[in-house]
Amino acid sequence: MKIASRAVMWVFLLLVAFLTLFPVLITILGSFKTNAELTAGATVMPTIWQFSNYAEAWKQANFSTYTVNSLFVAVTSTIGILFVSSMAAYVVNRMEFPGKKAYVGMQAFTMFVAIGAVVLRPQFELMIKLHLHNTLWGVVLILISAHASAFFILQSFMTGIPKELDEAARIDGCSRGRTFWTIVLPLLTPGLGVCALFAFRGAWNEYLLPFVFTLSKPELQTLTVGLANLKYGVSAASQTHYMMAGACLSILPILVVYLFANKSFMKMTAGSLKG
Amino acid sequence: MNKAKNLAFSYSYILPSFILTVVLGIYPIAWAMRYMFYDYKGYGAEKFIGLDNFTRVLKDHEFWNSVVNTFVYAGGKLVLSIPLALILAVLLNQRIRGRNLLRAIIFMPTIISTAVMAVVFFTIFNSYNGILNQFLMKYKLIGSAVDWLGVDYSMLTVILVAVWGAVGNYMLLFLAGLQNIPEDVYESSALDGANKLQQFRYITIPMLGPVMQMIIMLAIINALKGYESIMVMTDGGPVGKTNVMFLYVYKLFFPTAGSGAATQIQEMGYGSAVAFVTAVIVGLITILYFYGSKRMSQYE
Repeated sequence: MKIASRAVMWVFLLLVAFLTLFPVLITILGSFKTNAELTAGATVMPTIWQFSNYAEAWKQANFSTYTVNSLFVAVTSTIGILFVSSMAAYVVNRMEFPGKKAYVGMQAFTMFVAIGAVVLRPQFELMIKLHLHNTLWGVVLILISAHASAFFILQSFMTGIPKELDEAARIDGCSRGRTFWTIVLPLLTPGLGVCALFAFRGAWNEYLLPFVFTLSKPELQTLTVGLANLKYGVSAASQTHYMMAGACLSILPILVVYLFANKSFMKMTAGSLKG
Repeated sequence: MNKAKNLAFSYSYILPSFILTVVLGIYPIAWAMRYMFYDYKGYGAEKFIGLDNFTRVLKDHEFWNSVVNTFVYAGGKLVLSIPLALILAVLLNQRIRGRNLLRAIIFMPTIISTAVMAVVFFTIFNSYNGILNQFLMKYKLIGSAVDWLGVDYSMLTVILVAVWGAVGNYMLLFLAGLQNIPEDVYESSALDGANKLQQFRYITIPMLGPVMQMIIMLAIINALKGYESIMVMTDGGPVGKTNVMFLYVYKLFFPTAGSGAATQIQEMGYGSAVAFVTAVIVGLITILYFYGSKRMSQYE
């Protein structure tokens, strides 16, 4: 009886694991197949490994541009989010000032109120006024503006850093600014790391925002946008192998990060529950 | 003097965050709240029309059809993903071999781009030369190609894809909740002769109540809001079968974006009103759920 129930459990767990991995494996293996082999769908492993798919996707399907754009957007917005939210979290955690409650309430508000794609329109109009709509900086700024969750995460990490440390530095003649940059921020590294993971993942995977902002500017498109556009293209059926290679270019970097940092990802997701 | 200096320091450090949030987070919401009373197509004149946009929403069959679709989509996603996530969490909370690896695998979909996976799932489920059909036909499991993204099955397909992406997240949240249940409750109940199923029914479920209430609420909101993968996979089609309300809002603002099968014209004013109604629907369901599920949180 006990053996039977254990067997059922293992079959179930392995089946779920297999179904979870299956689409990703299909993508990775598919990226090495010819288009004909892919659409015939008859093989699991590629009959001849087509490494040239990547070279062609990189050059002919513009994936070099898309990758550079994705990297730019993800790296700059991650750095921006870390700066903006850690500075705000520091003063909210350590200082008293009028309007503090209102500020925290506003951050919470932006996290919970969702009205969908509507906001993209005024955001786009704003970027036209700022002359940023022809660059990716507009997208980056909008991504940085959504830093409420990073703010709350860093806030809770900040609580764990003893205030006495600040005070000691102050007595030694350290200014508030220097205390933050040289004493508090280095101690905040674990929190910053977690926020960086989340911010990078969010920006790297973002689709709608760069899509709407780069509709008529292929040279600014990111991996997600370029890839989805392949699907809409007239020659979509003949480019499945490019789609697979392009999907891998998007999936693999983040999978590698996940390989090393999956504990942090999972711990933080679990932690969000406790608020 | 010192006080003024402290204030100046505080405000200067909060300023970048404040400006970005107000300009790019709050202002767009205010923008929509204004235009929902206007007839505005995105170009030309804007005309104040009071509540006309809202009476139009009431009579908009396509919108209410998308609301129904949203409920089917969200309901299907919840019914499949929550129990599955709970079972996985309970199983992977035991001290079994390889549990960390299994957790990492099942959580993996949450780190991959929804849009990218939607493209991959499209090539898998595509009826014409899709990988799934080719495979099923090769092994004679089906006689002819099944139109997974067609009228009959498209909703089921987009739900399954959503479940694939969501289970790992909820499993992890359930795991966090399970770890708060003290081990000795299980031990003493085992001494009293309770079996695993009884423990699950009489200890795990009730003690998980408050956490479960939160997780389901989160899942409801996420399910009502999600439309990115639907947009890439089916673009709301065929014939509006998978058109969910947030996708409908999107199309009022960006009608030509997507597959190019534009059926609408740009409607900024009306779109803002629809977006507002949509947000109210999500808010109402959340509140209704919160009060309806109060019993769940009353354990402690």
